[in-house]
Amino acid sequence: MTAPLVDIADLVIGYDTGMRQVRALDGASLRIDEDETLAIVGESGSGKTTLGMAAGRLLPPEAKVIGGSIHVAGVDVTRADDEALRRLRHDKLGFVFQNPTTALDPTLRIGRQVALAMGGRPPPEAIAELLSRAELNESERILRAFPHELSGGMAQRVVIAMAIARRPHLLIADEPTASLDASIREKVMSTLGRLRAESGASLVILSHDLRMVARHADRVAVMYGGRIVELGSVTRVMQAPAHPYTRALLTAAAGNERPGERLCPIPGTPPILESRCEACAYADRCAFRETRCDTERPEARPFLGREVVCHRAEAVIGAPTQARQEDR
Amino acid sequence: MSGLARIARRGRPRPNGLTIFGVVTLGCLLFLGVFGPWLPLGDPSRIAAGPRLDAPSAQFLFGTDELGRNFLPRVVQGIRSTFLLSAVAVAITAVIGTLLGMAAGYLGRHTDQIVARGADILFAFPALVAGLLVAAIMGPGQASAITVISIATLPLFIRVVRSVTLGVAGRGFVTAAEVAGASTLRVMLVHLLPNVMGAVIVQLTYALSIGMIIESGLSFLGLGVQPPNASLGSLLRQGSAYLTIAPWMVLSSGVVLSLAIMSVNLVGDAVRDALEPLKGRPLT
Repeated sequence: MTAPLVDIADLVIGYDTGMRQVRALDGASLRIDEDETLAIVGESGSGKTTLGMAAGRLLPPEAKVIGGSIHVAGVDVTRADDEALRRLRHDKLGFVFQNPTTALDPTLRIGRQVALAMGGRPPPEAIAELLSRAELNESERILRAFPHELSGGMAQRVVIAMAIARRPHLLIADEPTASLDASIREKVMSTLGRLRAESGASLVILSHDLRMVARHADRVAVMYGGRIVELGSVTRVMQAPAHPYTRALLTAAAGNERPGERLCPIPGTPPILESRCEACAYADRCAFRETRCDTERPEARPFLGREVVCHRAEAVIGAPTQARQEDR
Repeated sequence: MSGLARIARRGRPRPNGLTIFGVVTLGCLLFLGVFGPWLPLGDPSRIAAGPRLDAPSAQFLFGTDELGRNFLPRVVQGIRSTFLLSAVAVAITAVIGTLLGMAAGYLGRHTDQIVARGADILFAFPALVAGLLVAAIMGPGQASAITVISIATLPLFIRVVRSVTLGVAGRGFVTAAEVAGASTLRVMLVHLLPNVMGAVIVQLTYALSIGMIIESGLSFLGLGVQPPNASLGSLLRQGSAYLTIAPWMVLSSGVVLSLAIMSVNLVGDAVRDALEPLKGRPLT
């Protein structure tokens, strides 16, 4: 296939909050190919969940698509009729949610929920086989259990099994490990990655943990202020970030600091946009700010094998790093 | 959070004295109401079964009324019609209210606006005024009593079910079902309905006691159950004319009505505590 699996072009989405409209996405563009793992990284409020949910038109009713388009497997998601959308969701999409305890119906046994996700009345062997692919043993016991009787890690594996039940082409995982114990995060991520590789689907991981996703993704998209500010292969972006926000995220996150070194939190808070941002949304918190950052909206441009939305990318990539490169 | 819930679920709350009193009283009243016509208590409509306005005695435990009818079977018949009318009305209302509340909470937008505003309007109506209006339109009788009880209790169901639905509909499993291609009806029946049932059951008991109050109020005014049939409300009205010379009529029907409403409320509290184990109980 030549067309990308997902093609999001200049997408603008706002939420009506009664008095005013808040923009969650302010011109986000993104292409996702078949058979790849893309991580979308950003703070809370950066628009990553909105972007992920928009791919299946799963946004709450207050959300309005103001401009741009989303095509998933050739279907125009924002304009498709309900039946076309239902087919697309059923045949092509799978979602893994942040919190497995709310992603499973507390009133149904696991077996029934998995069966519903598989589309009705699958044979019992098929259910057991699906669970074992998600690395769940003791399927007898799990199928009879109610969600509150499972541990968080097991519940998340059930959610993953349900997400891949219909062999989706696009799997969207919204903070799949955020609510799990640190000790099993890595295992659950590996399961997710292995299942993706086996099925040849594309996996989109939405996360705020840049270092964690770096170990599992091929490409990374960094979101800020409702736009994708840097998009490129994980190795390139992680080793030499070209956007000051990516750079700040790397220095703010714990992971491989040396003894005595300080973590640098990013000053300020993310912006709340009410209309199209006509400057750089990150300017207020940026160490590389110059006058045109406040007057001119940066556009996406190719830069050293990636796309970046920054007037000062050359200066950012040339700046001395605080020696954080021996990661990976 | 889930750990706490798990611990709380393990230990069932021990029923306290009030709960036991409520369950026993309600059980006795329901037994009398259901099996009353077949119990050897006497004929409720037989005139001149004894002397008129006779005081309670071994033969007539609750005395007799102004037509010499045995008052005990009349009270039992009153229990039956008061419970039956409000139960029928509340059952119908619960079904309608649950469906409307789920639709409002899940579909949102215009459906929500219409249903929620409609519930507000019904809620603003005093039950007595609604009763007079309905009785004027439909004529006094059981049908208008049922209608009035429905009007008064419908917003209770809509509001509670709507708010619970709003919480449930935002959870992952509803989205997952939508992604799996489930129809709106299927999401509502398979996923939403079981999750709102707890709230509906709690609301059911409160609505039942409100229904009984409304039914007796209407019958007291002569707009509900019509003679010669008796309801607790109409017996109160009948007895109030003879309050000074035959107080047993008002006393017996009034005490039974109070017991009925109190026991329904006590059972309702117990049901609520059982379904929401974390509320109102120490965590230890």
